[in-house]
Amino acid sequence: MSNPYVPVIARIERIIEETPDVKTFHLVTAAGKPFAPRPGQLAMLSLLPVGEGMFSVSGQGEAHLEFAIKKVGQLTTALHEAEVGQAVGIRGPYGNGFPVEELQGKDLVFIGGGIGLAPLRSLINYCLAHRPDYGELLIIYGARTPADLVFKEELFRHWPQAPGTAVHVTVDAGDAGWQGPVGLVPALLEQLNPRPQGKVAITCGPPVMIKFVLQALERMGYRDDQVITTLERRMKCGLGKCGRCNLGSKYVCLDGPVFTLGQLKALPAEY
Amino acid sequence: MPWLKDEAMPAFLAALQSQGRLWVPVEEEWGSCLAVWEEKSLRLTPGPTLLAAKGLFLPQTEKLFHYRVEAEGAVISESEPPAAAARQIVFGLRPCDVAAVAVMDKVFLDGGYVDCAYRARREASALVALACREAAPTCFCRAFGLDPLAAPGADVLLLPLEGGYLVRAQTAKGEELLAQAQGVLAQEPALDWPAPPAFLLEVTAAGVPAKLAAMFDHPLWDNLYQKCLGCGICTYLCPTCYCFDVQSADRGTEGYRYRCWDSCMFPEYTLMAGGHNPRPTKKERVRNRFLHKLCYLPERFGVFGCVGCGRCLLKCPVNLDIAAVLKKVQEVGTHV
Repeated sequence: MSNPYVPVIARIERIIEETPDVKTFHLVTAAGKPFAPRPGQLAMLSLLPVGEGMFSVSGQGEAHLEFAIKKVGQLTTALHEAEVGQAVGIRGPYGNGFPVEELQGKDLVFIGGGIGLAPLRSLINYCLAHRPDYGELLIIYGARTPADLVFKEELFRHWPQAPGTAVHVTVDAGDAGWQGPVGLVPALLEQLNPRPQGKVAITCGPPVMIKFVLQALERMGYRDDQVITTLERRMKCGLGKCGRCNLGSKYVCLDGPVFTLGQLKALPAEY
Repeated sequence: MPWLKDEAMPAFLAALQSQGRLWVPVEEEWGSCLAVWEEKSLRLTPGPTLLAAKGLFLPQTEKLFHYRVEAEGAVISESEPPAAAARQIVFGLRPCDVAAVAVMDKVFLDGGYVDCAYRARREASALVALACREAAPTCFCRAFGLDPLAAPGADVLLLPLEGGYLVRAQTAKGEELLAQAQGVLAQEPALDWPAPPAFLLEVTAAGVPAKLAAMFDHPLWDNLYQKCLGCGICTYLCPTCYCFDVQSADRGTEGYRYRCWDSCMFPEYTLMAGGHNPRPTKKERVRNRFLHKLCYLPERFGVFGCVGCGRCLLKCPVNLDIAAVLKKVQEVGTHV
């Protein structure tokens, strides 16, 4: 049997500078796409000898996987210094991913903040690729400043032009060129006030944003099973063995990272 | 049933050693552990050895693969799945430690993914258990429903009686082991089945998982953790603590990735690169450790993460041991 801790070696095919501290990496292996994850699934990326870390797959093409990665620690700093052609270890996919079948026929409200748009993007593009299966898409996204908005090409060109899709982007603080709304994501959500009937809200972002988004959704009448989020934990194995990503008796790497609010409320509040 | 006379023990151990590497309890200056058998090295004392057997299946550090760094980055230079591990016989495991191996098996063999290195070591191992006629002062295996005179997960069980041991093969692997030792075994003399040993500690886990499931926000945790030093000795000695870290050892243009035992008592265990830590203080870490042993593992795998071996009672520098926690949990009211 194969050793599940050994990565496959992929190469960086393309690097997109999203923001001053976020880059998107396209990874390919000699055989093409490393694997075909479901939206919201995870992969372990490694730079030897620096280290290995778990990342959400933010998108995929016919022959590559995409990872939008923010520079925050040793591994991500080393990744940001990597160049096209460089080798990156990859293993996966891990985790449950978004419940794409259960979401069929629903209107979807995406609420993202900062780099939290990365996992949501994989689902948004999946829905657009399977357009008849899903209802209206409402995308609400915010970042600290206009320079910190990720996936600008999609936010301002592709998604607004997609059928049945509305996009609202806000920033905490504008700049000279910013024409859009200024303010926090939860406030924009309440202002737009999407009615809960027939909808599912999917949110990912910094913990403080999620906290106020969840409160807003509750006030707006969303039930716990109408709210989905995706969690982040330190992980070493991705296989439910190394221990650290547990949330009660669940492992985020196996049973997550996607949970409904109802599922989370049945688990210890330790995130 | 086969009978092993006391004086035939060295010959019995020699017969086992002829079938693989034989680990037996020995006494070192700092405490007891399992070591490869040498003539006269066997030391049997009540209770389990200070160091558990887990390192024989999940080594304290273990290489995962080797790599070589070339112009465009690293390539995996050696990643063969672990070859058939060397055959080993673990002698003298107490019933608590046999039960602990079963907990590790759940995690590494049943948890969705199979850990191939662990499986190779387990498959190459035979467990020869030694029933307990006497309990150590820190023993409390009965709290978790274990029978000190039985070890259901062992390949062979030895029951000490006056003048020798009753020897019972419990698996095909055990029968194979004993087949090679027939020459040193006699037939059972007429002996009465012994009474179980007396225990000093009165501990029970009855009702604890259900009670703990509703105690995540209980004020008990606000006080309990305060004396914890965060040293992690409980996790290193615990026979069911299996958590590990994965790191790389860089040797210039080549190196290897390895795993090593880790401890949930350390802040880095859950610290994320961006600085967020879901278990930032000892309160959350102590709470998670005991809930994991007594609530989360029973929920996920149907087994307690504690076998009552008493190692944390013996070595925790501040007596924040699991028997003390069990008592506290049973004493407190559930109303917050």
